[in-house]
Amino acid sequence: MKRLTLWSLLGLAIVASAVFVSCSKGGGKASVGAADAASAVYVAPGEKDEFYNFVSGGFSGQLAVYGLPSGRLFRVIPVFSVDPEKSWGFSEETKPMLMTSHGFIPWDDAHHPDMSQTDGVPDGKYVFINGNNTPRIARIDLKDFRTKEIIELPNSAGNHSSPFSTQNSEYVIAGTRFSVPIPNEDVSIDTYKEKFKGALSFIKMDKNSGAFNLAWQILMPGFDYDLARCGKGPSGDWMFYTCYNSEKANTMKEINASQNDKDFIVAVNWKKIEAFVAQGKGQIITSRYAHNVYNDETHSATSTIKTSVRVVTPADVPGCIYYIPTPKSPHGCDVDPSGEYIVGGGKLATVIPVMSFSKMIKAIESKAFDGEIDGISVLKYDACLAGEVKNPGLGPLHTEFDDKGNAYTSMFVSSEITKWSLKDFKVIDKVPTYYSIGHLCIPGGNSKKPWGKYVIAYNKITKDRYLPTGPELTQSAQLYDISGEKMKLLLDFPTIGEPHYAQAVPADLIAPNSTKIYKIENNKHPYVTRKEADARVERKGNEVHIYMTSIRSHFAPDNIEGVKVGDKVYWHVTNLEQDWDVPHGFAVLGNNNAELLIMPGETSTATWEPKYAGVYAFYCTDFCSALHQEMQGYVRVSGAGSSTPITWNNKK
Amino acid sequence: MKSTITRILLLAIAAVGISISFVACSQEGAEGKQEESVFEVKQEKKVYGKIQHVDVGEAIDPTMAKAGLDVFDTKCSACHKYDERYVGPALGQVAKKRTPEYIMNMILDTEVMIENDDTVKCLMQEFLMRMPNQSVDEKDARNILEHLREKAK
Repeated sequence: MKRLTLWSLLGLAIVASAVFVSCSKGGGKASVGAADAASAVYVAPGEKDEFYNFVSGGFSGQLAVYGLPSGRLFRVIPVFSVDPEKSWGFSEETKPMLMTSHGFIPWDDAHHPDMSQTDGVPDGKYVFINGNNTPRIARIDLKDFRTKEIIELPNSAGNHSSPFSTQNSEYVIAGTRFSVPIPNEDVSIDTYKEKFKGALSFIKMDKNSGAFNLAWQILMPGFDYDLARCGKGPSGDWMFYTCYNSEKANTMKEINASQNDKDFIVAVNWKKIEAFVAQGKGQIITSRYAHNVYNDETHSATSTIKTSVRVVTPADVPGCIYYIPTPKSPHGCDVDPSGEYIVGGGKLATVIPVMSFSKMIKAIESKAFDGEIDGISVLKYDACLAGEVKNPGLGPLHTEFDDKGNAYTSMFVSSEITKWSLKDFKVIDKVPTYYSIGHLCIPGGNSKKPWGKYVIAYNKITKDRYLPTGPELTQSAQLYDISGEKMKLLLDFPTIGEPHYAQAVPADLIAPNSTKIYKIENNKHPYVTRKEADARVERKGNEVHIYMTSIRSHFAPDNIEGVKVGDKVYWHVTNLEQDWDVPHGFAVLGNNNAELLIMPGETSTATWEPKYAGVYAFYCTDFCSALHQEMQGYVRVSGAGSSTPITWNNKK
Repeated sequence: MKSTITRILLLAIAAVGISISFVACSQEGAEGKQEESVFEVKQEKKVYGKIQHVDVGEAIDPTMAKAGLDVFDTKCSACHKYDERYVGPALGQVAKKRTPEYIMNMILDTEVMIENDDTVKCLMQEFLMRMPNQSVDEKDARNILEHLREKAK
């Protein structure tokens, strides 16, 4: 014992001296010393993070939730892809959420989380995110961190300039990256220039329930609508979108869509269009799209196919849509906290152009036009320009803002973040990222009220930053302190999928409202079992419905007989617990479909079609108590023609 | 090396823990080892939990008792029967054996009772299952108490 203590003391001394050495080495540099950085991101055991960070799961199709400054992963919220851990897309209740007009789609690509806002400030109620491949927008409820609604977007392809919320979340907007024939029919791709259009979608959100309704789509010239942002304050009635491929190329876009010196930022007065639509402008066309809604009381989703949508052309809504020229192949389109500046990020540009909203309005009033495209006036570049940020680095993509009048732009090609001033558009600081930064995020940094403490870089390339894991490496984010003049790298943290955009807000905007349990008395699931005495088994033809309850630590019933080969067995399991953090799991041997994870007060259903006669075990898969191992039962399966009656026990 | 020290420490902590709970229970155990004996304790020395005093009176309020039965069926009956040991103790006579405050605090402040109350600590050793907090509100807990009082009549 004594010897052990001595050895451990010696060990401690070695560790302490090593820390000291590394500290004194780092002390002289501009970067934060390792120990300083460590203490800046250290969240002691039992302490909580200051910010939530909602990060797109990229090609995983999901949304990941991290804490900042620790970079710890708390949860992956399933959205556009099945998730076995949460039965998402496997349980009968959640399958409809992944239905589309093309049927069930188990995997999509998610890009841009945006948070609901009240008066231009994130309000912590919902996160919206886009399904990029089969165009959809999802609404995630931050009370229980679940996807509550997914609406498909017709007439779209590559749903990339999406979703972005207006400043009071009146609308969530989405824009198509790839133009398509509208209506989409069997035409030669060579008809691109005449038949292909780009749809900009406006989804109306009900302020109280959050419910979506696809209000209208604007059919724009067949460019590629890349990213977007709503105005705020004085520009709050306007949406801004970047677009490239003003060449209307439909092959080898890499070259053919990069011919023009300038592409465009589209400015759309949505408020004025809303008024036109209210007068009945535009037309209703036939379109098929799915609208999926998850009901909190039935714990079940429904999927409905809608068959029409209102479309408006620019000619239907005069004075509402303008093109602002912007340097070559723009990507990000970001509006500063005051609502005056619109910053375009040109992938192939050597400057960052900053447009002025007030100058744009004057240019419209004075008709400072430079021609028109398909009836849409093109404003003069210089008439709208507030200034250009010179020598920002290479490949400016996206810009976020702090609360001190500064902007932070990600530079993809030169792998850095460039901080510049909104007063004189001069570069203040640059800091390297590792490597090839895409999006970046400041808490509230896209809103009227940024919490300018950190900027997070979401990188496209990881290379040598982590222990290797074969050809595929973890995805990577980096946290920088921006409280001072100089940006300081504090932390690398791994992320899932490819992190595209993200949202971050103070934890106290969300944590106090977090759901702990679903009240069993409010459970209106059609197959709920509200008390153990009601647990039972019912046969309807070749369907067997098992009304089962779970509580620490037993199922009722736990011995079931009378199931036959050829039956479709529905296990409707209600978790009777009413205590926080006590889910129960359910798994039955040989199930080709699902396991379940059932939250307190919730009912979930697994479907099982046993193939062979015999006795099968089922059990709880989520450790629930000291007697979790005993939370198990048996179901007897008889041959197809047998006459074993349905029986069950409700006792120990 | 580290793990050895940790293990020794853990053992020491566990030993202290066991001896404490052993002392607490052996006093009650002296009256007998059967389940019923644990139920002999009529008056708790100290009241733990948020309900420091309940006025129950003599008569049973049938409306409250009926409401209590409904909540009991949903939130309690999966583990408690009236006249047999199940996952938890039988509750048919509990209103005679426990104070109204004990019953309500066990429902409302389950964690506090499990941590502090000697009788509950002994029951924990016997049943090896922490009673879950079933998020019952105070009104419903009072109704459950009325239901259990009716049962114990």
